[in-house]
Amino acid sequence: MTRTQIILTRLVLLGLVVATWELLPRLGFVNPRLLPPLSDVLTMLGQLLGRAQVQEAIWVTAAEVIVAFMIAVPLGAAIGVLIAENDYVGDIFRPMLFYVFSIPKSIFLPMFILIFGIGFGQKVAYAAFSTTFVVIMSAAAAVESVKADHILVARSYGATRGQILTRVYVPSMLPVLLETLRISMIFNFTGVMIAEMYASRTGIGHLIANWGENFQMRQLFAGVILLAVVAILFNEAVRYLESRCSTWRA
Amino acid sequence: MQHMASLTRLHEVAEPTAIEVARLSHVYAGPEGGVPALEDISMKVAAGRFVVIVGPSGCGKTSLLMMLAGLRHQTEGTILCNERPINRPDPARVGVVFQEASLFPWLSAVDNIEFPLALRGMPKEERRRHAEAMLRLVGLEGFGGRYPHELSGGMKQRVSIARGLVQDPPVLLMDEPFAALDEQTRMTMGHELLRIWSTTRKTVVFITHSLTEAVYLADEVLVMSARPGRIIDRIPVTLPRPRTYEMMATDTFGRLRDRIWQQIRKTTQPGLA
Ligand SMILES: Nc1ncnc2c1ncn2[C@@H]1O[C@H](COP(=O)(O)OP(=O)(O)OP(=O)(O)O)[C@@H](O)[C@H]1O
Ligand SMILES: [Mg+2]
Repeated sequence: MTRTQIILTRLVLLGLVVATWELLPRLGFVNPRLLPPLSDVLTMLGQLLGRAQVQEAIWVTAAEVIVAFMIAVPLGAAIGVLIAENDYVGDIFRPMLFYVFSIPKSIFLPMFILIFGIGFGQKVAYAAFSTTFVVIMSAAAAVESVKADHILVARSYGATRGQILTRVYVPSMLPVLLETLRISMIFNFTGVMIAEMYASRTGIGHLIANWGENFQMRQLFAGVILLAVVAILFNEAVRYLESRCSTWRA
Repeated sequence: MQHMASLTRLHEVAEPTAIEVARLSHVYAGPEGGVPALEDISMKVAAGRFVVIVGPSGCGKTSLLMMLAGLRHQTEGTILCNERPINRPDPARVGVVFQEASLFPWLSAVDNIEFPLALRGMPKEERRRHAEAMLRLVGLEGFGGRYPHELSGGMKQRVSIARGLVQDPPVLLMDEPFAALDEQTRMTMGHELLRIWSTTRKTVVFITHSLTEAVYLADEVLVMSARPGRIIDRIPVTLPRPRTYEMMATDTFGRLRDRIWQQIRKTTQPGLA
């Protein structure tokens, strides 16, 4: 299949999904109280975005996501680099990190509530916690992807430690690091959502959980669409950067 | 410039020594007192000479080259390059070309060549001028914008040689630079290297496993013993320059090749000697 054909087929499939979502409830095949028609959901989304309460929730969630991300990524990266670069630290902590990595992080949520309450700090702490481990693993992998040959070449041309870092490590690791960024955002976003849905007074996750409990399906679907769009946009933006680096991935 | 030229002529008269290794030994740390890799290596390479080192696998050739490049420190002995000791990498005196080209895949060919100059903080324009001249020298004019994965094995090694020469060091060290190439490309690259060498007049120390390559390229072949590596034979190659492919079919060529082979056979299978 050519590229255009693939794109066309995808568009047709998308159109089918949209049409089905719209028509099934309208024609009475599905109870509209369970699955409201897409147009109703989109109208609701527009109304929601105009409400002060929803706007505030969006800001709170966005702030939580960003702060948690800004804690988890540098922290995880630093630990990951340390583990990969320092044999001693690596030997000691690698197994422990692997064990903790394998545990579903959500079972720790009650402890975070006990320690941090149910405010902003708890969301950030929990999301950062659940994200840090992926960042550690990927950052360690990124460091290990740096070729010894390349370091040797740089050294033979008199590169200082700083130059080796900026001119060999960073460009070698960049593709893996971008991927790390993308994947850690998925974990991070999920962390914030779980924390908000579990126990919270505000935030998009909290609203969605409430709408679900109260059977407000139009609001619920509108919230889902909003989150999906934001997540996909971030993911694609980073993927675009990754593809720009892939020419020299070789 | 005038001054430089007259200095060079003066040195030529005196037959200056580019590299002088004296009583060098090396032991790699390890269990049971470590692994002796090199033993009592002494050698002198006159400026402008092409010296090839051969020896069985694992005899310490790469280790020796690393020490000549200042990338690793020997346990004992001294290395002088242009009459000054080598303790750490000094790209102004020594350029290195590695086996797997080792180009940076995120840099284009010309940026790879500029890399050593960029480390020194040379301005972009000047760097580009030097790099373009090197591209011409190695026969890659017009290919500067290509990335390593868009180049053939031979072209990659050309870029790698250009990178080794861009700072115009008097000494060029090459560790099996053509080992990963197919035989035909390898022959061409050997010939190309001699052409480049004859225009730049560098002192070259070249490691190879190919006896034909050794004889074809060298002024002198040093044969090393099995580990711990010692120099067991020094074979002057009397073939005239410029070398031609036809010389490979001559008796002299065959005799030289055979002498190296006998030495290597003796050191790897002492029973057969
Ligand atoms: N970093 C190191 N630590 C310990 N031992 C080493 C190290 N590097 C090399 N050796 C050992 O020293 C010996 C010489 O290695 P070297 O790579 O110099 O040999 P070589 O002659 O270049 O071999 P080849 O022809 O296979 O390239 C080998 O036995 C090798 O195992
Ligand atoms: Mg070697």
